[in-house]
Amino acid sequence: MASIPTIQRVIAVLWPAFLVAAAATVVFFTAFDPNDLLAGRGGPEVSRLGAYTIGFFLFWMLAALSSLLTCYFQRPCEGPHPDQDEG
Amino acid sequence: MADLAEVKARPPFQPADEVQQSLYAKRQKIYAREVHGLFAGLRIAAVVALLGIYYGLPWVEWGGRQAVLFDLPARKFYLFGLVLWPQDFFYLAVLLIIAAYSLFFFTALAGRLWCGYACPQTVWTEVFMWIERKIEGDRAKQMRLDKGPWTREKVLKKGSTQLAWLLLSAYTGFTFVGYFTPIQELGGRILALDLGPWETFWVIFYSLATYGNAGWMREQVCIYMCPYARFQSAMFDRDTLIISYDEGRGEPRGSRAKSADYKARGLGDCIDCTMCVQVCPTGIDIRHGLQYQCIGCAACIDVCDDVMERMEYPKGLIRYTTENAIAGKPTHVLRPRVFVYATILITLFGGLAYAVSQRVPLELDIIRDRANLYRETPEGLIENVYEVKIINMDERDHVYRLAAGGLEGVTLIAPQPELRVPAGEVYSLPIQIRLDPAHLKGVSADVTVTLASVDDPSLIRTEKTRFMGPRI
Repeated sequence: MASIPTIQRVIAVLWPAFLVAAAATVVFFTAFDPNDLLAGRGGPEVSRLGAYTIGFFLFWMLAALSSLLTCYFQRPCEGPHPDQDEG
Repeated sequence: MADLAEVKARPPFQPADEVQQSLYAKRQKIYAREVHGLFAGLRIAAVVALLGIYYGLPWVEWGGRQAVLFDLPARKFYLFGLVLWPQDFFYLAVLLIIAAYSLFFFTALAGRLWCGYACPQTVWTEVFMWIERKIEGDRAKQMRLDKGPWTREKVLKKGSTQLAWLLLSAYTGFTFVGYFTPIQELGGRILALDLGPWETFWVIFYSLATYGNAGWMREQVCIYMCPYARFQSAMFDRDTLIISYDEGRGEPRGSRAKSADYKARGLGDCIDCTMCVQVCPTGIDIRHGLQYQCIGCAACIDVCDDVMERMEYPKGLIRYTTENAIAGKPTHVLRPRVFVYATILITLFGGLAYAVSQRVPLELDIIRDRANLYRETPEGLIENVYEVKIINMDERDHVYRLAAGGLEGVTLIAPQPELRVPAGEVYSLPIQIRLDPAHLKGVSADVTVTLASVDDPSLIRTEKTRFMGPRI
C-alpha cells in the first residue's frame, strides 16, 4: 500500500463515491420532494435546485466516507504475534 | 485495492519496453498524430452529429415549450410530447436499463463501438485535440513547442489553446444546465448577470469537468476512471469485433525499402514505421495484442492502411476482425449471447412502448383523515373523511368528477360536483364518503373512489381505500 501515491488514494476514494452519489441523488429526490421535506422547518430558505445540490454533496460525502473506511480496513491487521503469522 | 486493480486490469501480454503508467500518476502527454481515412471520417461524422444534438436539442421547441427539458426545479421531465412526473420514475428506470442493455448488445456484437465513436469523453477529446492542432500545429510542432523555452510565441499559442478550451467548456456547461432549467431563460439571465447561485455553481462545475476531462485527463479517464472500460471484457468473446493487428502476416516486422524483396529477407508486412503507435489516443501499441486501454477508435487502421497503400501491400494489416477470424476459424455473428441480449432488449422496449401508450396522465391519491375514524350523521349514516389529491399530469386543463363505489349504497360528497384542475397542477380537497351501516358488514370495508374527466373519457382513475365503521 505504501507504494501508492497519496493522490491515487484520494481519487480512488472520491471517484467511486461521486458515481454512487449521482445515482443516490436521482433515486432519493425522485421519491422525496425537498419542498415537502423542508416544509415547516426553520432556517434559511432553500430552493429545490439548492436542496438537490446540497443533497448530492451530502451523498458524496457519505459515500466517500464509506470508501475511506473500506480503504482503511483493507490494510492488513498487525498481529501481536508475528511468529504465528502464516500469511 | 489499487494494486489489485492494476494487476487484474493489466493485459496478459505485457512487453518490457512499454512504459506502464501507474494509476493516476503524473502522465506523459500523448501527442496523437492526426489521421485521415474511412474511420476517421466516420468518427468526425459521429462527433458532429452528437455534438449537434447536444448543443442544439435544448433550443428545440415543442408546443410552446422546450422539447427536451428535465425541469428539476419544477420536478417535471419533458420529452417532446411526453411529460413525466416523479411518479413516472418507472419509465425512466426502464429507459436506463434499455440504455445499459443496448451497450451490452453492441459490445458483444461489435466491441467498443461506444468508446470509439459515441462516448462523450471521446467526442469532446476529439474536439479539444482539434482545437489544439488548429492553434499549435501538428504532432511534431506540438512536441517541439512543449519542449522549447517560453517564448512570446509559445505563451501566445498555449494561452490561445487554453482560452479556446475554456470558452467551449463554458458553453458546454451552460448547455448542460440548459437541460435542467429552461435554456432561453437561462441564457437571458446569464447575459443580464442575474444567475441564481446554484445554477452558477453547476455551470462552473460542469465547465471545469469538461475542461479537465477533455483537455487534460483525456485517455486517463478511459484507462483509470471508466467503469465500463474495466468490465467490457466480460461481454467479449472470440466472435466479438475487435481491432487487431494480423501478427501472422506482419511479423517479423522490420524496416525496408519499398523496392526490397522483403519476403526473401524473411520479413513480414509490418514495416515497423510506428505510425499506429503515433496516432493512438491512448498511447498503446496495437501490435502487442488486445489491450483494455484500446478504445476501438480505429485510428491505427486508417493510418496503417495508408502506409500499406504506399508500400503497395494489401490493406488490412490492422483491421476490424475477430479473434476467431485471426486464428483462421469461422466467425459467428448470431450466437447465444447476442440472442439473449437482443431478446431482453426487444422485450424491454416493447414493454416500455406499451406502458407509455397505456399511461393515463392523471394521478389520484386518497389519504384517510387520521383525526377521526368515522362519525355518524344525523340521518344515521356512517361518514368517513378523506383528503383527495388530484394531479393533472396532462398539458391542458380538465374538468373532473369524483364518485364512490365498491359497496352498495355508498355516496361521495365533494365540496363541488365538478372540479377544474389546470394543466400540470396538483389539487387537494377534502371529501366525505357516507354509507348506511346496514350495508357495512364488519368493522371496515374497501371502497373505491373514481376520478373521471368530463371532457375526455380516456382520463379515468380508480383508487381503493378503507372505510371504517363502529364495532358491532
